[in-house]
Amino acid sequence: MNDINSFLSRLNSTINFSTILPEIILIVGLITIVITDLVNKGKNAIFLYKIFLISTLVSMGILFYQLISVIAFEDLYTNNIFNNLFRFFILICSFISVLLSVDYVLCSKISLAEFPLFKISAGLGGMILSCATNLITIYVSLEFLALSSCFLSGYTKRDIRSNEASMKFLLMSGASSSSLLYGFSLLYGFSDGQVQLDNIIDKISFSQYLPIICISAAFILAGTAFKLSLFPFHQWTPDVYEGSPTRVVAFFSVTSKVAALSLFTRLFRLIFPYLSNEWHIVVELLAISSMILGNLIAVTQRSFKRMLAYSSISQIGYVMIGILAADLENGYASMLTYTFIYIFMNLGTFARITPFSLRTGTNNIRDYAGLYMKDPVLTFSLVLCLLSLGGIPPLSGFFGKHYLFWHGWKAGLYISVTVALVTSVISIYYYLKIIKLMLTKTTNLVDTLKTYEKQKSLVSSVISTKLKSSVEMAMILCALASTLSGLFMDPIIKITRNTFF
Amino acid sequence: MNLSELIHEFILALIEPGILVGSIGTVSFINTANSAFSLGLVFTCISLLYFALNADFIAAAQLLVYVGAINVLIVFAVMITDQSVSSDSEKRGIGYFTALGACSILFLTIVCIFHKINDFYSSSIHQSEYLKLNLFEQNDVQNIGYQLLNKFLVPFELASLLLLVALVGAINPARDEDEGKDIAENQKKSFVSSTSPRDKSSFF
Repeated sequence: MNDINSFLSRLNSTINFSTILPEIILIVGLITIVITDLVNKGKNAIFLYKIFLISTLVSMGILFYQLISVIAFEDLYTNNIFNNLFRFFILICSFISVLLSVDYVLCSKISLAEFPLFKISAGLGGMILSCATNLITIYVSLEFLALSSCFLSGYTKRDIRSNEASMKFLLMSGASSSSLLYGFSLLYGFSDGQVQLDNIIDKISFSQYLPIICISAAFILAGTAFKLSLFPFHQWTPDVYEGSPTRVVAFFSVTSKVAALSLFTRLFRLIFPYLSNEWHIVVELLAISSMILGNLIAVTQRSFKRMLAYSSISQIGYVMIGILAADLENGYASMLTYTFIYIFMNLGTFARITPFSLRTGTNNIRDYAGLYMKDPVLTFSLVLCLLSLGGIPPLSGFFGKHYLFWHGWKAGLYISVTVALVTSVISIYYYLKIIKLMLTKTTNLVDTLKTYEKQKSLVSSVISTKLKSSVEMAMILCALASTLSGLFMDPIIKITRNTFF
Repeated sequence: MNLSELIHEFILALIEPGILVGSIGTVSFINTANSAFSLGLVFTCISLLYFALNADFIAAAQLLVYVGAINVLIVFAVMITDQSVSSDSEKRGIGYFTALGACSILFLTIVCIFHKINDFYSSSIHQSEYLKLNLFEQNDVQNIGYQLLNKFLVPFELASLLLLVALVGAINPARDEDEGKDIAENQKKSFVSSTSPRDKSSFF
């Protein structure tokens, strides 16, 4: 008894539990989902999603409260604004994606409890990754995120495309995280056994071990660039995006990219400040190649999900400019604003594709022809989100890109910004191609659209109207956010400004 | 060299050929059961190496996890699957020689790095500092346990959650789906009967 008391008092002094309270709430939600499903024996599955939503909302509320009163805390986490903003982004991603995913599993008649479980665990992994400053915590949370995403992508086990996607994802994420671990081991060894990121910088003498630091930086770059799907490490993205279920792609296209962005920024800012020139050049090269490759290949795609995969590769190329352009007065404001807007644009686009593919069972771009006549709401919200992705004013994508490129030009990245502008114009071409296809009236409709019914769904119509509302809610939320965020650009920039560390 | 160093070198000289022979056997045996067992030999010799390097916790963990669980699982899986007929590896195309060249370059690089590091660390300054750390009197297991619950509490608990999610995820593709169809039918019935008076626009 004495030991337990002393242990608890020591625990309370070393770890301040209020800083990880959002994550603890998510963990409680996860355990509740498992126990509820066990007790209910599989019935009443909507209740599980309600638990998920409630825990996400409560987490967001507590995170808001913490954002207002920044609590300083050492050792495992640092609660500066950068980390808290990323945790908030990941909670937003989880929240919107759970709105999208309710009807899917009911319609496809597979078991339901594991889906919110994997989504909560992926969100949890992403949140802890956003504020970890410890090599071990970074690795464990990265593996948590990767493993949960892999299970999510292989969720529809009857479909062979899903099996292929999850196999590819598992193998390639295993290979890349082993390369990341090798880079970490070099850092661990040469800094005399330090695991904390701050202590590593103190103990490594950069002048003496410069080749080793360069090798370690190369391996860490390889490991993190996989998650970000930058140029030579992007090969998994189209196949995994095409094979996984659409809701799952919506979720991990934003969550894992946001978490990987925070990891990348923190690692390269904290550990390799003396190598700034070297890794700036390499990352600039990677960003330029991803932008060019993503946009050029997206022009030729015939499947909507593959096209969105290549466009997300190019969007990350743009965000890399924001990372490179960080300076003292503005911090990472451009990257954070563009990430925030990108979350809504991307989730909004997927929120449109999801009911369309559910109703018609196809993902080809050609089958979207003349959608305007059958379902104007879907068409217009999809038009808004695609234009925002392309960067047309007055939508918020334009403001995000404008700020990003202006910041980049000011920081001296002339080549990158020029390439980014040119490839933005190319991207407008393929987004407008889809919009033109949807909005033009064709006399002979495609066969799939002839049988398109707005109320059609695979289960009874009562469920479809009840659940259609949640997807509609997500659609409207994302459409509003991607349209109106441009007007609120200034307060957003002001919040994200103070993030240089 | 005094006697203890001589014994140490002798033990290492016994263990390392074991690892080498075991790994060559793993890749070149035609019978897969033989290669699975030689993988077990490799893991056991690595565990003995950890013992010789005075890391008792890691050695015990290696024996328990790798030899006791992973190797047993591999042998189990090999025994269940059919024995494939041996494939002829007579054709050695350009890929073989490219891989051979790349691996030998990598091997020579690693050997050079190890020699340089060995020269660096066997200078007398580092040896005296290393001996000052007095590692031989600490209890490894107690230290690891203390650190796990104090400094590394968050990764420790997160790893336990990871294990839970991994278990659920591993069972999920593999289980029988007859229960799924029954559950879906039950839900269809319950939804049709009970949702008509409810407000259709609200999610809750």
